Amino acid sequence: MSSSAVVAQGVSKRFGAAAALRNVDLNLNNGELLLLAGANGAGKTTLLRLFAGLSRPSQGTVLLAGTNPVGSDRRGVGFVSHQSLLYDELTVVENLTFFARLYGVPRAHERIDAMLEWVELGDRRHQRTGTLSRGLKQRLSLARSVLHEPSILLLDEPFASLDRRGIRLITRYLKSLDGVRTKPTAIIVSHEIEPTADVINRVVILRRGRISLDRAWNGGSGVELQKLCDHFSEAETG
Amino acid sequence: MNYVGQTITILRKDLSLEWRSKERITPMVLFVLLILLVFNFSFELGGAVLSEIGPGVLWSAFIFAGLLSLHRTFASERQNETLDALLLAPIDRSALYLSKMLSNFVFLLAVQLFSLPPFCFFFNLSPEPPLLLLLPVLVLGAACLAAVGTLFAAMSIHSRLREQFLPLLVLPMMVPALISCIGGTAEVFDQTQRFAIGDQVEIFSDGLVTHLQMLGTYAMVFNALALMLFEYIVEE
Amino acid sequence: MRRHLNVLVESGLAVLMIAALFAVFVYVPSEREMGVVQRIFYFHVSSAIAAFVGFAMVFVASIQYLRTRRENWDCLALAAAELGVVFSLIVLISGPIWAKPIWGVFWRWEPRLTSMLIAFTIYVAYLIVRSYTTGSPDRTRRFAAVIGVVAFVNVPLVYYSVNLWSADQQLHPREVELAPAMVQTRYLAFAAIIALFFYLLKRRYELEKLARNVERLDADLPLH
Repeated sequence: MSSSAVVAQGVSKRFGAAAALRNVDLNLNNGELLLLAGANGAGKTTLLRLFAGLSRPSQGTVLLAGTNPVGSDRRGVGFVSHQSLLYDELTVVENLTFFARLYGVPRAHERIDAMLEWVELGDRRHQRTGTLSRGLKQRLSLARSVLHEPSILLLDEPFASLDRRGIRLITRYLKSLDGVRTKPTAIIVSHEIEPTADVINRVVILRRGRISLDRAWNGGSGVELQKLCDHFSEAETG
Repeated sequence: MNYVGQTITILRKDLSLEWRSKERITPMVLFVLLILLVFNFSFELGGAVLSEIGPGVLWSAFIFAGLLSLHRTFASERQNETLDALLLAPIDRSALYLSKMLSNFVFLLAVQLFSLPPFCFFFNLSPEPPLLLLLPVLVLGAACLAAVGTLFAAMSIHSRLREQFLPLLVLPMMVPALISCIGGTAEVFDQTQRFAIGDQVEIFSDGLVTHLQMLGTYAMVFNALALMLFEYIVEE
Repeated sequence: MRRHLNVLVESGLAVLMIAALFAVFVYVPSEREMGVVQRIFYFHVSSAIAAFVGFAMVFVASIQYLRTRRENWDCLALAAAELGVVFSLIVLISGPIWAKPIWGVFWRWEPRLTSMLIAFTIYVAYLIVRSYTTGSPDRTRRFAAVIGVVAFVNVPLVYYSVNLWSADQQLHPREVELAPAMVQTRYLAFAAIIALFFYLLKRRYELEKLARNVERLDADLPLH
């Protein structure tokens, strides 16, 4: 069990009478990079948010590194969403400083500098975040989420409205995790399948709240992966 | 980072943001003055009438202005979903409440202090020394409103009623505090006017002390409740 | 078997209420000073107690819901809150009916009535919040539970401070020596009202559970 980074056991989530997830079982090991695919409304974001500890399952158990993500030490989680989760009125460096403090990042100053260099925002450090373009904001958001070197990365539509450079930044980062000793575990929810093809090593597809496919992915073309996802997510107009 | 450090970090962030935009305190102060203006057309508040309805008018203005602003406590965190960011961080939910409550406390106190001089000016309340006794009343009153207001503000963002939600809940709940805010203020005004005409003045009259005790108790009780219950509100 | 039990309970309750009505309107003599209208006092006071019991139950059920997340507690809280509001309304209406002939005015801002009025508005707000919260029902219930806890803790504070504010206006009649017939009537009326309260509570609780199960059936979900 201790090697399981992320666990969902018999997880169901209801919003009123509507069931977003039905009896989902998922077991992610340390270092796995998972693509969570499916049609709109299949339950991908819901499941991700359960893992993030932002919500509780209606039934079942969710474990993150062996503990309940709600109310536990969430130090180990990095979350990237299509929303920036940044304060528009703060400058780039102020945003990172704020989150560095909140997460208790050691030697914050150096870490922030390193992050800014990595996402190529160093020359904009004193720019108000609200004035950044969508793509730049997303890059900053990525920096924010890995500031504290999390062991678990959750990405919800990270590629949304990103230019190719931005997409490459993220995929390059994820690939670079390969050589790292304590490789983080990651779950990517994405509609854009192709960029993830040579990054992930497992794919899970949700269909109307249930898992319709769960298998390893040992590399392959983006087109293949897209076809696979299309087949198993089988949108309503099947 | 420890609990206190995290609370302070968030508090500083909110205070810095407000310092830059001044988008909460400025409208609040203006609103207080406008309410006072409107009240003036109902009753002329100078002179003897002041001690009778002045306190009530003043606190009505503070509360209504405060309620409009309190909704922003968490509504402002909905932009870019920064509330999620705060909930994801490894901080105690109660620390989030505490920091928000403290920032609201600061804003409310600031509004009170800015509104007081115009109030004295328009309603001919001479700023004699006993008026300083108003400070504890203002501070404790702000603390009570901040406690109740912050707790319910976290709910107001999830209500179809939106801005209408807070007054509905806060006003009846605040009655005990309101009574003592008004009572305490009345005592202070009374002493101030007595001083002005050279009468005997009692610094901490029984009445004032009772009201301050009530406010202190209320603030403690509500903060304690909020610290315990806050996590149930912010959970998804 | 269950149906027989229900009939038995309902009949018993009916008998109790009729007995109470008889006692209040026929049996007990009119009060010397206040006359006929004083009879309202037997129901007025009992209703106040019933309302308070309702609010206390909201408090307990709310805490339990937050602790266990078992929906039954939430159903109980809702039922108790509704009844608390209804019985407060009875108090707030019967009070003025009594007051007009006795005090000469419909309403006086005196401690007990004012406290009751404030409690009434708080729990009405509780019910309103339940209807207007967005998101899942779980959130509505959590919010309601939080309000349920805070509201009840606030009640003694309200009572104390309203007393502080208008102690001089205390116009409720003091406890005076009551004739034996009056004491009996008082207990009988109290028993009737409380029995009515619990009976309605049970029915409302069951109704709520039933309604939620119907919703679940509609959505193909497991029943509770």
